[in-house]
Amino acid sequence: MDEFDLIETPENVELRRRLAGIGSRFMAGLIDALIILLLDAALALVLLGVLWATVFDYTDLAGALGTWLYAALILVFFVIYWGYYVLAEMLTNGQSPGKRAMKIRVVKQDGGPITFLDVAIRNLLRVVDGMPGVAYAVAGLVMFFTKRTQRLGDLAAGTVVVAEEVPDYAATTDRKVAARWEREASPEALRATGLAPREYRVLLNYWARRHQFPLETSRRLLRQILQPILQRTGRAIADDDVEGLLDYADALIQKAEVAERGRGPADPGAGPLGGDAP
Amino acid sequence: MTPARFLETRRPVWDRLEGLVAKGRHGVGRLSEAELYALTRLYPAVAVDAARARMYGLDERTQRRINHLAIAAHGLLYRRKHAEPLKAVGRFLAWDYPRLFRRLWAYVVLATALFAVGALGAYVTVRLHPATAHVLVPRGLDMPGTGGGVSPEDVSERYRQMPQPPMASFVMANNISVAFFAFALGITGGIGTCYVLFLNALMLGAFFAHFDNHHLGYVCWSFVAGHGILEIFAILVSGAAGLRLGLSLAVPGRLVRGAALRVGAREAVLLVLGTIPMFIVAGAIEGFVTPSHVPGAAKIALGVLVWLTALGWLLLAGRERSPGAA
Repeated sequence: MDEFDLIETPENVELRRRLAGIGSRFMAGLIDALIILLLDAALALVLLGVLWATVFDYTDLAGALGTWLYAALILVFFVIYWGYYVLAEMLTNGQSPGKRAMKIRVVKQDGGPITFLDVAIRNLLRVVDGMPGVAYAVAGLVMFFTKRTQRLGDLAAGTVVVAEEVPDYAATTDRKVAARWEREASPEALRATGLAPREYRVLLNYWARRHQFPLETSRRLLRQILQPILQRTGRAIADDDVEGLLDYADALIQKAEVAERGRGPADPGAGPLGGDAP
Repeated sequence: MTPARFLETRRPVWDRLEGLVAKGRHGVGRLSEAELYALTRLYPAVAVDAARARMYGLDERTQRRINHLAIAAHGLLYRRKHAEPLKAVGRFLAWDYPRLFRRLWAYVVLATALFAVGALGAYVTVRLHPATAHVLVPRGLDMPGTGGGVSPEDVSERYRQMPQPPMASFVMANNISVAFFAFALGITGGIGTCYVLFLNALMLGAFFAHFDNHHLGYVCWSFVAGHGILEIFAILVSGAAGLRLGLSLAVPGRLVRGAALRVGAREAVLLVLGTIPMFIVAGAIEGFVTPSHVPGAAKIALGVLVWLTALGWLLLAGRERSPGAA
């Protein structure tokens, strides 16, 4: 379920943001953890190389350089452990690589961009949120009970993690079908289904958006659209047989789709061996 | 105005702002002066449109589009100029941190009191009942007389076997981690921070009592004093940071608990971040000076001097009005 958060802008307008869910945040954390693991593994390899070199190279210079390099590597490990998220979120305005992959972002509760202090607070508190160990049980529990799905670090820093809403306004429609009803009805589809152009377009239009309507409205529309078609073709499906009506509409659309694909040259996938033409 | 008319007249505006937002997404610097001006003019209008779309009860898709657009433009406009990192750090250390320290001195006193009670308690206990040392002092430090076979000379020898640079960086990393934990555990209402402070105090008190029991107090003291005084002090300051965070939750005062936490966290995190240079200095001393054969008195003198320098910085720096403050 989508959860929204309201922010009030300095213009006194309320804007809605979609909060990132626990699931996508967990996945983002997993990706970031993997990256940290890889970085650490790479460092460990360098470390082994240094040790190997100091053992087999008895010149004093290599030995001295080796200990300094060894010292530097310890510091790099340390910086990765505490600084990975701080750096990543600072440089990308709240989007560590994992968050980027999950299309989520850290923002201020009041809508503004995050500052260094916010980033430092939320990520130093990670060690408590991660408890026990790195299981993030504390974070999960706190996020479950807070209004804006915040972990302890978010609460202290005053940040929220939001889903970057991609301006894909047809997100809830069946995009494949939507693309079709925006085109002209093809003669093949009309012939296969026996529908009038208008009927066909209305049906497709409905089908693409059927999940957007309230359930009752959706059923009523389905009945209204199918009634004339049923009457003409002489098929009898009871008005309250929603399953039957849906199956019938689905079958019509399938038929049209198969007919359109069978056209051949229009679809690069359907060569001479294309087996799905009727 | 009807919803349909609203849509018709406003759509070009949204399209225009959408274009600007898309162009400015990878940095507002890519926008021309005229475009920037347009952005500042279009954003408030579209923010109002978002509210109107809701009022007219327009369809979900349109509402989302306008809302998303307004948020994106809001994100472009309301941002702060990032200070140059090096300059910001310099300013912080020269002005803001000492001032913050003086404002939060009571927390440092509180942390010190907690630590002192723990250390003294453990010291007295182990002095009176030497056998209890086993509970708090690591096994490796058993004295010849108590069944083990390690003398303080062996310990310092062990120190010396470690290459110095890695030793220093390991100590720095470890101590700063402890400081960060002391801060972060403050979120438990301060209980976690108290636990860390108290545990460390017990170990320290028992450690000294243990050596004193074997009449090696001075050897031990002079050995650790070079780095130890500043190190313990910095730990106390990070403990104070944890207490600041915790007490904002436990005793929020006149603020709502959530707001008190956010205010407390900002002061607390700054307080702990400022301990990093102290740990770096202490770590360098622990890595390079402590294992050396410098006489004990010199080490003690160095430790006291370094600590007094830090204290002088914290108490005296930034007294005049800072150049950046209005």
